[in-house]
Amino acid sequence: MALRYEYAVETEDLAKYYVMGPVTVRALDGVSVKIRRSEYLSIMGPSGSGKTTFFNMVGGLDRPTRGKVFIDEVDIASLDAYELAWLRAKKIGYIFQTFNLIPVLTALENVMLPMVFTGVEREERLRRAREMLTRVGLGERLDHKPGELSGGQQQRVAIARALVNDPVIVLADEPTGNLDLHTGLEIINLLKTLNTEKKVTIINATHDLKMIDVSDRIFWLRDGKIERIETRAEVAVKEVE
Amino acid sequence: MSGEEGVKFPLSEAFSFSLESIKRRFGRALITMLSIILGIAFLTFLLTTGRIVSVLYGEGSGVAVQFYQLWMAVIALLICSVGIVNSMLMSVTERYKEIGTMKCLGAMNTHVLEIFLIEALLLGLIGGAIGAVAGWTIATVWQAFTQASSVNIFMVSASLWTEFNINNPLLLLANPLVNIALSVIIALLAALAPAYIAAKLSPTEALRYEV
Repeated sequence: MALRYEYAVETEDLAKYYVMGPVTVRALDGVSVKIRRSEYLSIMGPSGSGKTTFFNMVGGLDRPTRGKVFIDEVDIASLDAYELAWLRAKKIGYIFQTFNLIPVLTALENVMLPMVFTGVEREERLRRAREMLTRVGLGERLDHKPGELSGGQQQRVAIARALVNDPVIVLADEPTGNLDLHTGLEIINLLKTLNTEKKVTIINATHDLKMIDVSDRIFWLRDGKIERIETRAEVAVKEVE
Repeated sequence: MSGEEGVKFPLSEAFSFSLESIKRRFGRALITMLSIILGIAFLTFLLTTGRIVSVLYGEGSGVAVQFYQLWMAVIALLICSVGIVNSMLMSVTERYKEIGTMKCLGAMNTHVLEIFLIEALLLGLIGGAIGAVAGWTIATVWQAFTQASSVNIFMVSASLWTEFNINNPLLLLANPLVNIALSVIIALLAALAPAYIAAKLSPTEALRYEV
């Protein structure tokens, strides 16, 4: 029987310092947070506040200088290269500002790629990729290459790719950063719908204020530290005032 | 969790991925291949011509001539390696971002390395084969039409393909098949360093990389 932990992600005194000549940049400086399962979370803050660094640490894409990251109660620093690759392939879905699709592969093949690494049979890969792309509204554009798709469509492919392996968490780094207002809103709503439907934890690093409306909680980050944590209700009250 | 845990990337998947990558970036692959073709064609042309001439005028043209020919071969090899190294370097570095993405999706260092080495192998093999055949053909036809000799130059030239004399480096190198093998080896070696560096990058570093 699969265990269901209450928290999808936990960080303990997470810090990342970059040494640049004589100065040490504290990109992230002691962040301890707990993120519940199926929560829709936004990490907000000005650029340079450490959002992307947090994203990279939690996603197991970079090693912290200090502190720990637990995903499903497993300390990811204790994983070897093989287990880390499995974590990235199966448990985490990534969405980037610049979409990062493989340019030579079609939308369908891009979505199939993560399932190659998790060892899904070819037929099943095709079926699930089709289903997922249809779900994000691209059922008609399966055989288009990223270059033939608009920004919003490319981000939809990226979302389908991130979700196709049924990950525990989806990490999105400025998912609306390269999109216009309207398209950005569509992407936000799509993420929210999938969050509710699939009960997947979604963590956004963003400074798009449209995100607040759908977020369960907002972490405000400043100079590598958590400034405050608010729920959507709290933010709404403040806006009224 | 099932017992199937752990990332997979069988060689067959790596091979089809590399092949598709070459096919769909055909223009780019052609440029890379062109430098291989030219290098190997140049090498094969030089060595084939050398062999034909030494057969026509006798093997005993002296140690100096042999030495001179060997030097030419080494220089040709050098020029062809530089071209191949350069284009391999380009073709790997311009795909750093793709490597970063692959690693986010679960690719391990060895998988990235596999993809690039298979690509290099295919490019080296195809480019080497085209180059060797082209160089050999041009050299043979040229000699056949310019040399007035009773010896059948086509026969001499054709025999080079079956010549495997490990004791005589000039003879061995004059075999176009050996040139194709060299092409594969050089392409692999040239791709190894940049591919290894790329494979070892952390995903964030690879993604940050802009060409």
